[in-house]
Amino acid sequence: MEELPKALKDIISTFEVLGEEERREMLIAYSEAAPQFSPKEGESYVLTDVRKDEECTDTVGVYLISDEEGKVNFRIHLGPHVQTLTKAMTSILCQGLSGSLPEQIVNIPSTFISKIVGGELFRVRSQTVYYVLGRMKSACKQLINKKTIENGQVH
Amino acid sequence: MSTGYVFEEKIVEIEWLAQNLNSLAPDIRIIESNEDVLLYDTGHIPGAVHIDWRKDLQDPIIRDYISAEKFAELCSRNGITPHTTCIFYGDKSNWWACYALWAFELFDHKKSKILNGGRDKWIKLGLPLTKEKPSFERTHYPVPSKRMDEDIRIFYNGVLDFLKAKGPLIDVRSPGEYSGELLHMPEYPQEGVLRGGHIPGAKSVPWKTAVKEDGTFKSIAELRDIYEKQAGLDPEKETVVYCRIGERSSHTWFVLKYLLGHKNVKNYDGSWTEWGNKVGAPIER
Repeated sequence: MEELPKALKDIISTFEVLGEEERREMLIAYSEAAPQFSPKEGESYVLTDVRKDEECTDTVGVYLISDEEGKVNFRIHLGPHVQTLTKAMTSILCQGLSGSLPEQIVNIPSTFISKIVGGELFRVRSQTVYYVLGRMKSACKQLINKKTIENGQVH
Repeated sequence: MSTGYVFEEKIVEIEWLAQNLNSLAPDIRIIESNEDVLLYDTGHIPGAVHIDWRKDLQDPIIRDYISAEKFAELCSRNGITPHTTCIFYGDKSNWWACYALWAFELFDHKKSKILNGGRDKWIKLGLPLTKEKPSFERTHYPVPSKRMDEDIRIFYNGVLDFLKAKGPLIDVRSPGEYSGELLHMPEYPQEGVLRGGHIPGAKSVPWKTAVKEDGTFKSIAELRDIYEKQAGLDPEKETVVYCRIGERSSHTWFVLKYLLGHKNVKNYDGSWTEWGNKVGAPIER
C-alpha cells in the first residue's frame, strides 16, 4: 500500500479487520456522511465535471478545490438515486484522497477497493464500486491537462 | 373501493399498512427486497425483514434458485410459516419485491402481496423508517415437496418450442435493449451478454408501462389496454415474459397473472443473459 495516501491507508486498515456485518455497518455510516462532501456555497472550484453516464444510476458531479501547492480536495454531488455503495465510496475517497496531488491520484491502483468493500459485496457490485474513483481520476486528468495547456501558453 | 384487479387481494396499499403497522396480525410478515444491496440497512419499514435476492434466493454455485431445504430454512429463520401472509416491497418500483414473490411461489408459497408503490412511495409520504432489525421466533417451515418450475417458469428449450409455435413472447426490457442498441438497462454497466437484440417474434412492452410516476400500478382499464388491446395478449392463453435476468419480467408476470388474471403466464428467468450468450440461439434486431 506504499503508493496510497496515508489517510486512505488508514481507512483500508480499519475495514480489513471487520467482519461482514460490521463492514456493512461501516459502509452505511460512510454513505450517510456523503452529504458532508457536497459542494458548498462560496467555494470556488478549479474544475467541475457534472455528468450522468452508464456506470451509475444517477447524476454525479465532481468538483475540485486546489490549494497553492496544487494539492486537491474533492466535493461530490450525488443524485437522489445513487446507490448506497456509491455514496459510501464517495465519502471514503473524499476523506482518503484529501490533500493529495492530482498526479498521485491518477496513478492510484484500484485494487484497494475490494479490501474496503469485501468479497461478498464486491462480487455483487463489481462494476459500480470503481465508479467514483474513476470519476475522481478523470477530473484530476482534466486538471493536469488544463494546467499543462495554461503553462504552455504562459511560456 | 374496489380496484377492479382480478386478484385485488394481492395488493396492499401503503396507506393501509401505515395505519395498521402497529397492530398487524402475527401471521403477516413484511419483507423488503431491493436491488441496492445495502439499502435495507440504511432504514426500512418497522418490522420488515430483509430478503436479499442474490444471497437468499439464488444458489451460489449453480445458476438456479435455492433448494426446497434452503427455502424452508430461509422462511423458518424469518418466522414465516406456510400460513404467513408475506407483504413484499422494495426499491425500483418493486422489481425485486415481485421477483421475491415469484421465487416464493416457486415453492408454492402463495400467501403473498405486493405493497403498491414500494419503498419510494413509503418514503415520499414521509412514513417512518428504522434501522432496528426485527426478531421473530423461529418457525419450522416444512420443506416443500417440490419446486413449481413447470407452473410459472420456463427454460431455454421451452422458449425455443414456444417461439416455433408462435406463442406470445413479451420482452419487458427498455426499447434500447430490445433493439440491440444496449446490452443492459440505460444507466447501468453495459456488460454481461455478447449480443444485443431480442428473441424472434417477441413484442416490446417495457415493464414500466405498467406503473404510474409514483411506482404504483396503473388502473385495470389502462393495463387491459396496454397488454390485451395493444400487445394482443389473450388471458386464456399461455404467455412468456422475459428481461435480462428475470427480475423486471417478474414485475410484468405479477401484473399479467394477478392484476389482469391471465391464466398461464411464465417467466423465462434465463432471459437475455442466457439467450444472448447461447451458442446457436436465434435472435432478431
